[in-house]
Amino acid sequence: MIRGTVIGQVWATRKARGLEGQTLLLVAARDAEGQPTGRLVVASDTLDARAGEDVTVAFGSGARNVLRPGPDNRDLLCDAAIAAIVEGAG
Amino acid sequence: MILARVIGHVWAARRDARLQRAKLLVVRPHAIYEPAFATRHLVATDDVDAGVGDDVIICLGAPARASLGDNNMPVDAAVLGVVDRVELDADAMRAAGAAPGIKRPLEIAVGT
Repeated sequence: MIRGTVIGQVWATRKARGLEGQTLLLVAARDAEGQPTGRLVVASDTLDARAGEDVTVAFGSGARNVLRPGPDNRDLLCDAAIAAIVEGAG
Repeated sequence: MILARVIGHVWAARRDARLQRAKLLVVRPHAIYEPAFATRHLVATDDVDAGVGDDVIICLGAPARASLGDNNMPVDAAVLGVVDRVELDADAMRAAGAAPGIKRPLEIAVGT
């Protein structure tokens, strides 16, 4: 997982059916020291993360497990998902 | 997933049998999180009829294959949606070091 900050939201009307119902947020990634990396990722959000909040983003099967846990979730169209809203890090 | 702009097509007469019906687009990520993509472009399959100039959502890895209905496709990037709108929170972007922001619609300049 990586740590980042929510900076916005993406909308798409014409999209794959599997993308329907997903809230897509733009997350600016931070490095290990918490400094901005200048990189963006579009992550699916199930936790109602708001702009400005620090989050952790899971990739790969970890991202699919956020949307629907279990081995039978390979049909989900998601490669990045917000796994936690960060309140503090030391 | 990443945001990208469609900049062209790829034609290939000789291709993997499973790719026969796939439409292949060349896209340029607006901002990328994978250092491996230092080439500033990706070739992605397209099932949502995106065109050159469109801003799109690109999915990478296994879900890209799943979007084509076959987990054994020789594909690792797929266009999943055509972006209508991106809403950016100016304060959050400043805090995240993502300024100076947008030059043209969706032309996101991300500084460090």
